[in-house]
Amino acid sequence: MSSHREAPSILKDPLADNTDVYAWRTNRNTIAIVTSYVPVEAPAGGPNFYEFGDDVTYQINIDNNGDGKADVTYQFRFQNQITNPNTFLYNTGPIKSLDDPNWNRRQTYSVTRITRRGARLIAKNLKCPPCNIGPRSTPNYAALADKAVYTLPRGEKVFAGQRAESFYVDLGSVFDLGTLRPFQNLHLIPTAAANGRDALAQANVHSIVLEVPIPRATQRTNAPTDPLDPKATIGVWGAAYRQKAAMRNPDGSPSFAGPWMQVSRLGNPLFNEVVVPMARKDEWNAVRPHQDAAFAKYVAQPELAKLLPVLYPGVFPNLKALTKDRADLLAILLTGIPKGLIPGFQNFTGQTQADMLRLNVAIPPSSNPNRLGVLGGDIAGFPNGRRLPDDVVTIELRAVAGATYPLVDPTFTPDAAVSAIEDGTFNNPGRKFLDNFPYMGIPYSGYDVP
Amino acid sequence: MEPVTRRSFLVKGSAGAAGAAAAFGTGWTLSSADHGEASAASQSELKDLKGPLVAQVTDAAAGKVSVLVGEREVNVTDKSLVAKLLRASKKN
Repeated sequence: MSSHREAPSILKDPLADNTDVYAWRTNRNTIAIVTSYVPVEAPAGGPNFYEFGDDVTYQINIDNNGDGKADVTYQFRFQNQITNPNTFLYNTGPIKSLDDPNWNRRQTYSVTRITRRGARLIAKNLKCPPCNIGPRSTPNYAALADKAVYTLPRGEKVFAGQRAESFYVDLGSVFDLGTLRPFQNLHLIPTAAANGRDALAQANVHSIVLEVPIPRATQRTNAPTDPLDPKATIGVWGAAYRQKAAMRNPDGSPSFAGPWMQVSRLGNPLFNEVVVPMARKDEWNAVRPHQDAAFAKYVAQPELAKLLPVLYPGVFPNLKALTKDRADLLAILLTGIPKGLIPGFQNFTGQTQADMLRLNVAIPPSSNPNRLGVLGGDIAGFPNGRRLPDDVVTIELRAVAGATYPLVDPTFTPDAAVSAIEDGTFNNPGRKFLDNFPYMGIPYSGYDVP
Repeated sequence: MEPVTRRSFLVKGSAGAAGAAAAFGTGWTLSSADHGEASAASQSELKDLKGPLVAQVTDAAAGKVSVLVGEREVNVTDKSLVAKLLRASKKN
């Protein structure tokens, strides 16, 4: 998956597992950022429904000077409340408001903004909505969750709570020895062709959604308007932190001590999942983006690019012959794409190699979005930021297969099969995003999706 | 009342090590019973301790200890402290 359970340690810690990061410019001169956690929530999660960790610090980090270090951080900390200690139930009747006494287990959170000037608490006691349980427990869920949207004094909007999963992937196919559904019959172990199957079609996640006025994220006091302005690009990543020591008390309660340690992070989708070797995935989750030069060799010579010609004999001959370092992938994933390669576009942040989701905020939203983003001629989409519907699996599969190598070597011709690669799940009817904040779709209810 | 700070901890740790060296020549011969009274925390230090304090011996031979308290980590080098912890760990 994008970054769901992608490393040996974090798969044991879903509340801190950063599954996806999205960042795009809205049509209101703001940047929308989504970081999701708690992978593959089965909607019928009772009696203990899903929540953020009250022992986890969540951060949205923004680098605006290209050094791979956070210049602006929004930090989120959650608190749990049990209102009725005498029931085993999450709710003892319908939850009709965020203050409803029928709601027994609830969360609030604080938001702290950290810059080089210091840390400032900008909101506290904000309410998360309940999970979507069903029509009796959480009637009119959309209106209920809307009450958990907050506008802060300096223009930020925030929401934190359960949402429908936005990422889509044919996971069963990809990890069955790299099967690409359109090419099953060409695989080393062939089977009959079949349509893609979305492994996350009816799953929920917990999302932190933040909308920031552009000048609150960049070095500019006004929103940049020139896409070629070197200061127009920001790098975004999400991360989760746990205290260094955790202990179990005799009464079953935990205690913690020590500084906050990074246990999960993510910029570009699939970076840790399919680029970093299994043996180093935990390490990658622990180090900071500005230390990613240590992992650049896996981008320069990606394992997946070597596997495709083996798994599909004769289908990727040009890719098989491509043995040079993949300067295209190094740019896309670790430095941004410099100007001069794509007319009117760049999202280069400098020589520091860092896995960040790079967004050129001077590029306005597309009036006709293409799910293939830059590969589809739409420079407002991935890898210029990432919008919720962007088909990142297909984009990255095609890029690894050689689609983007002509950017750095015009003499290279991608194999004909490259443009036919599809994840095959982009038209999943279950994906319903919202037009407005918080953008992520209404979560599936446990009653409807057991 | 003086709060528990990195500085006060280091001062306290250094004093303990120096005291041990003066009394016994080397800290490694110090028994926990011999040194226990001198190392007792003050009332103010006890009041300041709001949660657990965890000591992780990261290099026993070098006397390196990581002390975790609150949201902080304090690294100290104190062979006598390591010796006391090792002996304490063998008690029933």
